[in-house]
Amino acid sequence: MEQPPASRRQFLAAVGNLASTSWIAMNWPQIAAAAEPAGHHAHDMAHDMAAPTHAVHALSAAEAAEIDAITNQIVPGGTVPGARDANVVSFIDNALGSFFAAQLPSFRKGLADFEGAYAARYGADKPFSAAPDAQQVAWLHEVDKTPFFTAVRRLTVLGLIALPKYGGNRDGAGWKLIGVVDSHTWEPPFGFYDKDYPGFEPYPGTKPYTA
Amino acid sequence: MPSKTYKTSETVDFVIVGSGASGGIMARELSRAGNSVVVMEQGPRMQPWDFEHDELKYRNLSGITNNPATNPQTFRSDPSEQAHRIEGRNPLTYARIVGGSSAHFNANFWRLHEIDFIEGSRLGPIAGASLVDWPITYAELEPYYTKVEWEVGVSGLAGSSPFDPWRSKPYPMPPLPVKSSGVLFERGARKLGLHPYPAPMAINSVTYKNRPACAQCGLCGGFGCEVMAKSSSVWTVIPEAEATGRCEIRSESYVFRIGMNKAGRATGVHYFDSDRKEQFQNARAVVVCANGSETPKLLLNSETNGFAHGLANSSGAVGRYLMFNKGGGVQARFENPLNEYRGANVTRVMHDFYDSDPKRGFYGGGGFDARSGGPLTWGQSVPKGTPTWGPGFKEYLESYTYWMNCAGHGTSLAQETNRIDIDPELKDAWGVPSMRVTYKDHPDDIKHANWQIERATEIMDAAGAKQIVAGEVGAATGGVHLLGTCRMGNDPSTSVIDKYHRTHDVRNLFLCDGSSMVTSGRGQPTQTIEALSFRAADYIARFARAGEI
Repeated sequence: MEQPPASRRQFLAAVGNLASTSWIAMNWPQIAAAAEPAGHHAHDMAHDMAAPTHAVHALSAAEAAEIDAITNQIVPGGTVPGARDANVVSFIDNALGSFFAAQLPSFRKGLADFEGAYAARYGADKPFSAAPDAQQVAWLHEVDKTPFFTAVRRLTVLGLIALPKYGGNRDGAGWKLIGVVDSHTWEPPFGFYDKDYPGFEPYPGTKPYTA
Repeated sequence: MPSKTYKTSETVDFVIVGSGASGGIMARELSRAGNSVVVMEQGPRMQPWDFEHDELKYRNLSGITNNPATNPQTFRSDPSEQAHRIEGRNPLTYARIVGGSSAHFNANFWRLHEIDFIEGSRLGPIAGASLVDWPITYAELEPYYTKVEWEVGVSGLAGSSPFDPWRSKPYPMPPLPVKSSGVLFERGARKLGLHPYPAPMAINSVTYKNRPACAQCGLCGGFGCEVMAKSSSVWTVIPEAEATGRCEIRSESYVFRIGMNKAGRATGVHYFDSDRKEQFQNARAVVVCANGSETPKLLLNSETNGFAHGLANSSGAVGRYLMFNKGGGVQARFENPLNEYRGANVTRVMHDFYDSDPKRGFYGGGGFDARSGGPLTWGQSVPKGTPTWGPGFKEYLESYTYWMNCAGHGTSLAQETNRIDIDPELKDAWGVPSMRVTYKDHPDDIKHANWQIERATEIMDAAGAKQIVAGEVGAATGGVHLLGTCRMGNDPSTSVIDKYHRTHDVRNLFLCDGSSMVTSGRGQPTQTIEALSFRAADYIARFARAGEI
């Protein structure tokens, strides 16, 4: 049932066949130009080249390690890739350095509180990210109603599924996790239940008609 | 092809404020009738290749919608309260680009039924509400509904629903291919003796008017359509308006006040150009199609000596009777993957419960559909009992392709206290006073939404769902269907515009968009807004020819 994903270039070519020749003649240079610079389009990135590396800039390396550890507990790895495989921490770092920059101060304060409370609770001299799995899970159960944790959770989901150009969803790992195949076009059957649809059967007393 | 441009010093026949569902049609019809037209659009003009499959940008970062950072609004649920900004979002959302909200709609095109126009007299008064008849009937609007379907482009199957209002012509295109959600919805509803049918959608199912068929990419609501299969004004009527050689679409031009002279006539519009420089465009007449929130805001911000409470507001009705479309539904999980992220959002709808039934003990009616949601939005919340993190949450995320939505779309009663007015303090990034929204659901709207959840649950259960998650009916704190705020009526003391969309107070000022609607309909207002626009343009062009403007 799975269909091969179409790259943006293939997709645009397919659209070209469907659109009127005049439209294509008028717009083809722009369409072709839009499709060319691989790396400026997320879908090109996903299919044609490796995910870019993102320099950590909003968070310090130590902060990033903590956030990475939390995301790894929110969506753990395994046979199916998780948040760490998807490089969600890079998305969070990018987000807090750009479109969610307004949230950075409160996020950073939340993280400091999180770390302080963790250290006090376990008398630990090492950060949360250095703790064994079971201890991380136990601690997160204690704080998973806090606004800070809720924010990390929200960012984790966004970073898993948003376009790879934002820094997460590396190699489409988030899409793999949720079962989404990245393609610009689809044809029926779309799923299991429309495969054998026999067609619309009119109701007694109605007379469907077409142009 | 370069479109016509006008100097601001030239007096054009019409300036139209807004380029969306209504404004685009108004522009085409008035320019085709021989008039010079300038369309003012707040937002930029985007080309097909500018639209991305970027759910983060469009659904979370105001990529093409009014941005709470630069276009802030305040909200309160009761007039006695102080209104506040809502964290991270605006109460009222619309697309702020050429094509307006027609560029990002889901494209569900339902006609109103005959009863929508006459519920006031049919049902009588309802406590706390202002349920009144429209000054026009379905019969008067029917030719224009047909015009929308053929001129703008709608796919569907005429005569397939026993509850459909009568029509003079079939749809010009067959329905879109059914998705798994449509099949399951149809299966469940038929088992219950109901009558689901192929969804009428403003999306090409075949090549139509030089635009291709839907590529089934799955991202309609919230997104612009880069293949131009979605019948958005920016792909349909706007290029046709420009092709007349008489129409200019002036993007990034934000109208903040309507110019008036001492004789009480509109003289044009004051606006900020793309450099935020103040400009004035002269015009013989002004048609405001700015949507149900921006239209009243513009009138209220245009108060002058002769119009102390806002322009065209002698009735006091400008901004009042704000309606959304309340509704309730469920999310349902099935045994096998549906892959709802593929294909146009909606393929089956049902209108069995369209009419209000006094036996239910409350007012309200609506339609149901099977629909999908984008994964980014879906993953933000979990059903009760599902872990919000850890292996259990991951397992939930892995189930994404097994879920669908069964959604009810319904009525909101008009209430005088639900309104848009001007916030006493807040201003937007241009220094224009912002809108303040006051809204509280009518108790019947809540009861009806809960009733819809029960029906949606039954349908999904009959369809064989493994898990059903009922939606929660909360108090409305905003909406995207912005209706009723400059209502149409015969009585100048209770309505803002007459049945031809002319304001009762200003002879050369017309309004046409969701604000014109007298009742909310049942959830999918765009086809009605477009039919109203075709009809209004017909009359306005006649008035112009006859020198009656």
